[in-house]
Amino acid sequence: MRNIAEIYKREIKFYFSTPIAYVVMVIFTTIFGFLYFRNLTYYSELSYQLMQNPYYAQSVDLILGVFAPLFNSNSIILLMVIPPISMRLFAEEKKSRTIELLFTYPVKDIQVVMGKWLAAVTIILLMLLLTAPAPFLAFGFAESAEWGPVLAGYLGLFLMGVSFLSLGILISALAENQIVAIIISYGALLGFWFLGWVIDPDSGKQIGKVLGELSIIGHLTNFIKGVINTRDLTYYLLFIFTSMFLTLRVLESKRWRG
Amino acid sequence: MIKIENVTKMYGQTVAVDNISFEVNKGEILGFLGPNGAGKTTTMRIITGYFPPTDGNVFVEGYSILNDPLEVKRRIGYVPENPSMYNDMKVYDYLRFIGAIKGVSKANLSRSIEKTVALCSMKTVLGRQIGQLSKGFQQRVALGQALINDPSVLVLDEPTSGLDPKQIHEIRQLIKSMAGERTIILSTHILPEVSMTCSKVVIINEGVIVAVDSTENIGRNLERSHQIELSAEGSTEKIVQTISRIPGVNRVEHSGNRYTVDVEMGTDVRAEIAKSVVNSGFGLLELKTRSLSLEDVFLRLVTEEEGA
Repeated sequence: MRNIAEIYKREIKFYFSTPIAYVVMVIFTTIFGFLYFRNLTYYSELSYQLMQNPYYAQSVDLILGVFAPLFNSNSIILLMVIPPISMRLFAEEKKSRTIELLFTYPVKDIQVVMGKWLAAVTIILLMLLLTAPAPFLAFGFAESAEWGPVLAGYLGLFLMGVSFLSLGILISALAENQIVAIIISYGALLGFWFLGWVIDPDSGKQIGKVLGELSIIGHLTNFIKGVINTRDLTYYLLFIFTSMFLTLRVLESKRWRG
Repeated sequence: MIKIENVTKMYGQTVAVDNISFEVNKGEILGFLGPNGAGKTTTMRIITGYFPPTDGNVFVEGYSILNDPLEVKRRIGYVPENPSMYNDMKVYDYLRFIGAIKGVSKANLSRSIEKTVALCSMKTVLGRQIGQLSKGFQQRVALGQALINDPSVLVLDEPTSGLDPKQIHEIRQLIKSMAGERTIILSTHILPEVSMTCSKVVIINEGVIVAVDSTENIGRNLERSHQIELSAEGSTEKIVQTISRIPGVNRVEHSGNRYTVDVEMGTDVRAEIAKSVVNSGFGLLELKTRSLSLEDVFLRLVTEEEGA
């Protein structure tokens, strides 16, 4: 435990002693804020018009009107800001050869991986926490606050972010330098993103269904609507676990090959 | 203390280290000598657990690197060649981090750091970033991270490479001062370093061990067997003829009135040579066995190996 904590502390310090964490957070929160503001203004205009008609007034919904599209757009922003967080974790240690000493210390690979992973997860968590004023502001004007769906949306974004991160760490362990790591990460993440679009899942073809299930974005839809589905939860957790497991195997195999 | 048992390391199809075995006793400083690319670093990386051997095993205080890697790693301090540390960290933070990783208890950490800092004389740079330090100080920090948990074994890969003469001297003194309490393996291709600091030498070339002996013996054995130098007055041709006739002499070379005589292993023909030179009427000015420096021994062993 102590080893994980020490590695975690070092990584966190590194993130904040270099511009990475700040840049990533600023970019994410700025875009989040902009989209939030745009959605909210649009929604308020729309709801004003809809209020004229009692029938349509029932369909005015802060979640569907503001937060669902907001979370949806921000999933792509997450895809852009997470590889810069994950790319350095192992690639840099290999490039600067600090990994040589690290592997001669009495630390297990899994402790190294966990420490680094937790540090990056913390950055994602902080990034999402920085956007917390958004729902508070929105609900401040609402008659009844619906926290459930918003929290479910945040959970979905968080799980997706950590999935991106875990795949990024795996690629960082494979790649020899950070540039290669970030480029492959973008490629791989977009690959998982587009998987569902290759064949229309509703076309009736079995393969389309399978690919749709594998797509990383497809599983966010329910979360955004406020539905926490075991299938989606399992997908993200399995995605994270598999990536981390493969990262450990990659480190081990690289070592055996010298 | 440290036992290297039939260790082989392959990189794909390339054999880097081929079935080597040797032992280092407690308190010894072992010089691990070989040209660049001989397999020194590979061997050290196996001992320190950076990667496992393709075949064979390494034991440190009875623990196997294959079965108890963590126990072995706890007992070893390693300074790689051109050590790469976290350049963004300050020296003090770095030592604290490494100490914790290496299992120094929280209560003892401050004391351990203090002790290491004093030993490596780096008090003046504690607050500075590692990346901004001079090479000499970086080497001290590297030594510091190796010593922080007071390991019983030190593995140093070319610890003086790239340092200026003053720093080299200081690092050597530091290594020497640690002999006795710690077992040290030191790799180098700088021969005087071995004669100055080590008690035992292992010479490795192209992945194979060529010689294992004490530093004194390794020179003496070869010295006894090989060359005699003399200078004499008189016709060079005749002198060469006279000496060549003596049984046990393999070859005679000369430049001016100085002669170098290659002698068969295990024979001492100094008296014979003196007698025949004087008896033939030449003036014998000087006669001595040529003392081989470690450099000669090394070159000889390595070239013999290549010739074989």
